Amino acid sequence: MAAEAALARHIVSAIIVTHDGQTWLPETVAALTSQTRPYDQVLAVDTDSHDASVRLLKSARIPIINAQRDCGFGEAISLGVNSLKPSTPGGNEWIWLIHDDCAPAPSALENLLMTVDDRPHVAMVGPKILGWHDRTHLLEIGVSISGNGARWTDLEPLEYDQGQHDGIREVLSVSTAGALIRRDIFEELGGFDKNLALFRDDVDFGWRVRVAGHSVIAASSAVMFHAQASATERRTVDVKGAIFQRPLLLDRRNAAYVLLANSSWWMIPWLLLQLFGSAIARAGGYILGKLPGYASDELLALIALVIRPGLIIKARKDRKAKRLVSSRIVSTYIPPLRSQLRLSTLRFTEAIRSKLLPSSDTSNISILDSAEDEDLLVPTKNTHWFRLLGKPEVAGFIFLAIITLISSRNRLGALIGGALATSPDGARDLWGSYFDSWHMVGMGSAQASPPWMAILAILASILFGKAQLLITLLFLTAPLLMMWSSLTLCRKLSRNSWISVPASLLYAISPVAIAAINSGRLATVVVLIVAPLIPQLLDDWKNIELLPWRRIYTSVFVVGVLYAFTLLTCLIGLGLVAFATFNDYHEFSVSKNRRLFTERMRKRLSLLIIPFILTAPYSFEALLSPTRFLTEPGLALAGGGTEHVLFGNPGGVGALPPWLVSPILLILIVGLFSSSRAKEISIYGVGFLSAGILFSSFSISTHGDSANVRVWVGTFLVGATLCAVAACVVILDRLRSILVSTNVHFRHLFAALLLLFTALYSITSISWLVSLGATSPVQSSTSTVMPAYLSVERDTKTLVLREVGPSNAKTIQYYISRGKDIALGEPDVAPKQNLELGNATQALIDGSGIFSSKTLAAFGIKYVFVKSPFDRTIIRTIDGIGGFTRTSATSTGVVWRVAGVTGRLVFIGKDGVSQILETGEVGALTSVVQPGRVLLTENFDRSWQILENGSRLERVKSEQGLPLFIATQSGEISLLHDGTIRRAWLSFEITAWITLLVLALPSRRRKREFADKELS
Amino acid sequence: MKRAIAAVAALAISLTLSTLLTGTSQPTGFSEIYPAVVCPPTLNGLSSQISISSRKTQFQNLENRSTKTMPFNVLRYPVPKASLIISATGVTPVVWQSRTRSWAGGTICSGPAASQWFVGASSDVRSRGRLIIINSGLSDAIVDVQAFSENGKQPVKSLELKSKSFSVLSLDSLATGDQKLAVHVVPRSGRVNSFMIDELGAGLQTLGGDFVNPMASESKLLIIPAIPNQLSRKGVKAAGAHTLRILSVSETDAYFTLEVLSADGSFVPVGFNSRKIASGIVTEFALSPKISASAFAVRITSDEPMVASISSTVNIAGRKDFVWSVPTPALVPMAIALTGLSPLIAFAGDVIKVKMQITFVNGKTSSVSIVGTDIATYRVPPAARAVSILKISSNTYAGALVASANGYGYIPITPGSLLTKVEIPRSNIRVLIP
Repeated sequence: MAAEAALARHIVSAIIVTHDGQTWLPETVAALTSQTRPYDQVLAVDTDSHDASVRLLKSARIPIINAQRDCGFGEAISLGVNSLKPSTPGGNEWIWLIHDDCAPAPSALENLLMTVDDRPHVAMVGPKILGWHDRTHLLEIGVSISGNGARWTDLEPLEYDQGQHDGIREVLSVSTAGALIRRDIFEELGGFDKNLALFRDDVDFGWRVRVAGHSVIAASSAVMFHAQASATERRTVDVKGAIFQRPLLLDRRNAAYVLLANSSWWMIPWLLLQLFGSAIARAGGYILGKLPGYASDELLALIALVIRPGLIIKARKDRKAKRLVSSRIVSTYIPPLRSQLRLSTLRFTEAIRSKLLPSSDTSNISILDSAEDEDLLVPTKNTHWFRLLGKPEVAGFIFLAIITLISSRNRLGALIGGALATSPDGARDLWGSYFDSWHMVGMGSAQASPPWMAILAILASILFGKAQLLITLLFLTAPLLMMWSSLTLCRKLSRNSWISVPASLLYAISPVAIAAINSGRLATVVVLIVAPLIPQLLDDWKNIELLPWRRIYTSVFVVGVLYAFTLLTCLIGLGLVAFATFNDYHEFSVSKNRRLFTERMRKRLSLLIIPFILTAPYSFEALLSPTRFLTEPGLALAGGGTEHVLFGNPGGVGALPPWLVSPILLILIVGLFSSSRAKEISIYGVGFLSAGILFSSFSISTHGDSANVRVWVGTFLVGATLCAVAACVVILDRLRSILVSTNVHFRHLFAALLLLFTALYSITSISWLVSLGATSPVQSSTSTVMPAYLSVERDTKTLVLREVGPSNAKTIQYYISRGKDIALGEPDVAPKQNLELGNATQALIDGSGIFSSKTLAAFGIKYVFVKSPFDRTIIRTIDGIGGFTRTSATSTGVVWRVAGVTGRLVFIGKDGVSQILETGEVGALTSVVQPGRVLLTENFDRSWQILENGSRLERVKSEQGLPLFIATQSGEISLLHDGTIRRAWLSFEITAWITLLVLALPSRRRKREFADKELS
Repeated sequence: MKRAIAAVAALAISLTLSTLLTGTSQPTGFSEIYPAVVCPPTLNGLSSQISISSRKTQFQNLENRSTKTMPFNVLRYPVPKASLIISATGVTPVVWQSRTRSWAGGTICSGPAASQWFVGASSDVRSRGRLIIINSGLSDAIVDVQAFSENGKQPVKSLELKSKSFSVLSLDSLATGDQKLAVHVVPRSGRVNSFMIDELGAGLQTLGGDFVNPMASESKLLIIPAIPNQLSRKGVKAAGAHTLRILSVSETDAYFTLEVLSADGSFVPVGFNSRKIASGIVTEFALSPKISASAFAVRITSDEPMVASISSTVNIAGRKDFVWSVPTPALVPMAIALTGLSPLIAFAGDVIKVKMQITFVNGKTSSVSIVGTDIATYRVPPAARAVSILKISSNTYAGALVASANGYGYIPITPGSLLTKVEIPRSNIRVLIP
């Protein structure tokens, strides 16, 4: 009775605001009328609903106030409050705010009143809000706002309500859906802010209540179900200020408004930083999720507010007038930054987890088999770890890891050797080399850096800039990665792990894999890892029109990565597309289905051409120097001959010896005559092998090597090996059942022969790998070619002479060093041999070069360094040629200084006297004391410029073909290599890759696209 | 089945095409050049003539700073003083130097050497010998001179030579007071070659002299192909004294065996079988083989690398002279200019088969074949200007003995400058990785 009397002391006026809410309104009205403690009066404010909302209200005999369609929620409530009977002083009058999409539980009002009855300081109380569709999920128990403007409920997404948050809690604010507000305070504070037509008006009001010295609480005993129709875009938002009817834009704008209007002034810079930072981050996320509209909402919301600072100033002035306590009182309700980060991280990891490890909705266990009756006292089965070894996957990977570790025992450090140049110290160097428009290699080069450098730089950045560690890890884990990627493919071809695992193991120890790792072939290693993913992505290559465009873009991305490492993959792609198009045309000539043919062409050409564009300008430059289509990153090392390639072995240094024959050719031939899918696979395999054989006969001169070397066809052989492995899996998978069910006949013998041959190869190749293979060219080493004392002088070029090659066939080779050894990526941009320099070097060696020193000096070469061991006779010959003064002879080699005035930037006065000018890394800022000529001893390039007094100096070619500038007066000069074109290309590349990434990533959905059951 | 066969056919076609298209990788190129040879300067009191095979042969004076050359225009060129640099293009010039009525000796003009051993001469009070070190390069040179004597290894002398200059060292400064000298000249840098003149005198009396020809490196097998053996004849008493000077340059003592190769047969003289010598000590042994020929050869084999020479005393017009015969490397096809000389060429080897071509002053040529065992000799006609060795049996060695009015000399038959086949260097960035 006391409780009833207590409830009777309060007067409750329920105000329903409706706006196209016919979907939810019947339940709302029903819920209101079935309250255990009925409201004292009710009225509805309809904002010009276009549906049956008004009719429904009328049928429920609820008085209606009509408002404009663009009337905001706060304004509608004010209309309603103004229509109520005037409040009596000292009376316990409450207004109960009801949305048309929320339904209170029958006891909601009663419990709300019970809560506030003995809490006279409470001005606003809200219920526990649960989902409308799934009424077990918590939406809110009180609400706040974070520093970046996010609506903060301190709940996990779709958190299941188990009473874990029950109780009465002090909060910053409560949602207006079901909020019970003291009428006198509501009127005293002027109601909701008119500038917050929709969204965040609740937080703002709660904040104002708090600073006015009142309390806001959430009572979980009162329950409300809320559909959040506007926020989830179930209806249009027509309120004033909702630009383009975009709820997200309005929400973000209002969030910023609330923060900026209510926070202490000294917090505003920090808040603006957070608001803009998070808006940009979220916009980026939306762009990746292909929701550009939401991304623009994020940014436009802030811009819309910032361009009208008067609004904020006025709002702050209004709040100051009614503030009784400091704004800081609410700080306990504002979530700290760490909580925001924790929640963001949680959501991000959950999103990744759900993508990678999707939870199965259906259980594989029959309900009949469930162990419901199992006695809890029965001990559970213990998993013995050693049983894991019985699994072929585990055993296979462990076996390969052990082999890899043994064979890589000399590779536990910074790797170098074979085709692999010295790894730079950090990712910064890689980025630098990639972005630079001028490369200090040899006589200098303006060639575009290959895109694989950017990929390595990104990966090295992830490893905290440890580029050397990245290369070591890549080569160390490459066999395991190859096995993993090929296993994913083999599993699609056979469910039998005893076939797929050994097959993928064979792929990882295939001749091409061994040769690629042993000889430091970066591109082939990457192709070996990535290649098995492509047939999985393009599993319906023949009927490519069935593949969605997103899959095509994902494939383009992967193919783009391969193009970035080697343009040989472009040739392969061209062959595959040509072959497929030929088949398509054949089909088209029969079916006459032009649309189908065109669709296939579009997708196939996208796969071929877009990666080519993505890798521009490196790929475009290849059109001018086609040998680039046949190169790999790093030093130009010769591949093996036809006799190697025929058996899937690319040959060259570090490759398996020719007597160690792999079963690749045998499997492909067998596959060709198979009646299974292996036949089709084998046709591709033979195609790869044929192309490999053909290209292995070519010799090219590239990557800083003036001699012709045989083309390395490892990339082609990756295709052949992969096809052989896949064909083998298909054949054995099918053959197994046939062999089991039939008597012994030729198939049994043939299978036994094939297995025997494969086993023989496996044993011998592994034996070779762990013994001789461990001494392959790629080793960890800290030794250097260039002695440290030659690196001390900046801008110094040194002609390095060295005997290179096996001991029985050493050849004299030379190159120009910039004081240090060659680094990763530099061979790829190395300039071609300069004929004049070549002649001078030859004359230097044969003793006829009395003018060699003059030529070398003209090219800015200051030192000649002969690396030990070297023919002593030639050393004496150099000694005897004039113009070279020995400066040192140590165990590392002999150094001569080239006579004459020489350097990187030489000023030649009108009197003919030369003077060395100081330079920086690439450019220079120095001065000339008189008119004359400025010689830059770098290769000629049109981007070289010298500015003097704001004007460009005339640039001509010197006799040696070097850039020579004519200075007409004395003064300060600025040398620069104009990298505008390079920067433009980089911008294009970045834009293109990001666009492709966005297209390849799965799309995020707009809120309106969520099904009801996915919402709470 | 059709597609399978087509695939196999494609494989076969690519194999065939590949085989047809495969080009050999770019062969390594070579630059062939005969390095210019350097002749010794004419020191005070000496006279010198250089035998050249062609009047067009170009030369320049060592001191000349210009790189310009000029032709000789003669076949025997008297050198006033300077050392000459000669573009001999494969024909080795020979220098014949003499001190009037005292001694004469010959040597070949040679290219720069990485190492030269001179086994001969002495540093005692009688010595007037000199070591001439020439830097014919355009850069400064540093040369180490290491002397050995009966007292062992001497301190190294390092010399620095300006470009295109020579330095003359008195032999008595290398191991002062010691009689048995062996000198190793090792250029550390520069285009260097050296010559040694051994001249002896007692007061105003000259005791003869000769060039001590160099040998390039120590070896376990040494052949000295031409040693003069003056026989007694009417009115002339045979000098007949030979002295073997030998040095083991390894760290341990050595055992050597000396075998005499002569027209009278091959034999090991008594006491020369497995004879022990101390390491680093220059040792001499008297050698007096009883043979009838005017020239003989010796073959020295040892268990350690060594250097050696034989000095022989001779009488010329009643005066005493001596000749230093040194080991030569195995004979290779070559040409040597001998204008004005008529040497006796001695070939040594187990089986000797040599085909030569003699070019005369008048331009005519004649072919000569030498066949023999152990040792064979051939007297070059006086009108010859060059001898070309065309074909040689393996392990055949040769030296020449020249007698003149002033004295007797020994010339090693070995090319002064070999055709240098220098590989054309290739530009390759690979040199910049370890």
